[in-house]
Amino acid sequence: MEFTLLWAVLTAAALGRLGTRIWPEGLPDRPPDRLLRAGAISLLVGRITAMIAQGTNPLLHPGDILVTRGGVHTAGATLAAVVAYLWSVGGELRYLDAITPAALLALAGWHGGCLWRGACLGTTSDLPWAFAEPGSVVNRHPVELYVALALPFAAWAVARLSFGPLLRSGLGLAAAGIVRLLTEPLRLSLTGGPTGWYIAAIAVGLTAALVGPRFLATRASPVT
Amino acid sequence: MTAYEFEAKLATLDRPAVVNVWASWCIPCRSEAPLLNAAFEAHGSEIEFIGVDVQDNQPDAKAFLAEFGLGFEHVFDRNRSIPNRFAGFGTPITFFFAPGGELVTTHNGIIDERGLALGIDELLHLDS
Repeated sequence: MEFTLLWAVLTAAALGRLGTRIWPEGLPDRPPDRLLRAGAISLLVGRITAMIAQGTNPLLHPGDILVTRGGVHTAGATLAAVVAYLWSVGGELRYLDAITPAALLALAGWHGGCLWRGACLGTTSDLPWAFAEPGSVVNRHPVELYVALALPFAAWAVARLSFGPLLRSGLGLAAAGIVRLLTEPLRLSLTGGPTGWYIAAIAVGLTAALVGPRFLATRASPVT
Repeated sequence: MTAYEFEAKLATLDRPAVVNVWASWCIPCRSEAPLLNAAFEAHGSEIEFIGVDVQDNQPDAKAFLAEFGLGFEHVFDRNRSIPNRFAGFGTPITFFFAPGGELVTTHNGIIDERGLALGIDELLHLDS
């Protein structure tokens, strides 16, 4: 793995750990370990998914898996992170809800890690805080920093919610999708970006937040 | 193609150019290939895309091109004279040139979608 990416990963891990300290309520034991494990599995699955999407067979070209800079599939990685974490806590949804604020903070760290990678900039801008690549005179939106600043607010807002099956995690997923979707037009892309996946994440997140507390709470309550 | 011939070719271009140095044995080049194709499809009318295949054998290189369907021009540079001329190191490398062949930026190593899109956008804003 390239070192600049490694710094971004470490920034995400540090903020995720900070999140577990700020919002410890309802967490399982050793939450940083579980977050890190889920993050590592997420990177691996996201990379393999990206390879398949690009038409490369991971079985025939296993060395390519290590080339994380070649792309990590956002949807594959997100799904893998959720499944890996849930698996580590025995499928208990309340632990998913408990970790959501810290996970959003970790995601903010990943985006803020653009500072190490030199990968913060997007489309051109005349706004006073826009800045240019070294050697360039073209000022640009620091779009990844926008995301890094917005996600802690989402984490804080989600942490203020009461516990209910999938309420926090559903709204957390939707919030992350909304932040990414709103900033996508400011991002430079060759393929149009995974806009459809963000919309899907918002829909799934909102549905989970609406349906989860009613359906799952009903199922969990004793029959009278 | 020699470095001098390549430099002369760039000097005749009236639009910016993205030059990607690759080889069939290069693992990261496999990840870059779909991106370069996407970039060529999106910006091929505004920017010249040229691949430089280095230290390769032609059958493997042709198989690589066929596998990824890279639709832009490629030149063969057995001795790496072209990337050496522009002080690039390793494989892959992506050079960004202004019209007329002036080197604007060099990206040594694998380039991701954001980096390639940014390099192209910088070329498209050279007048600003």
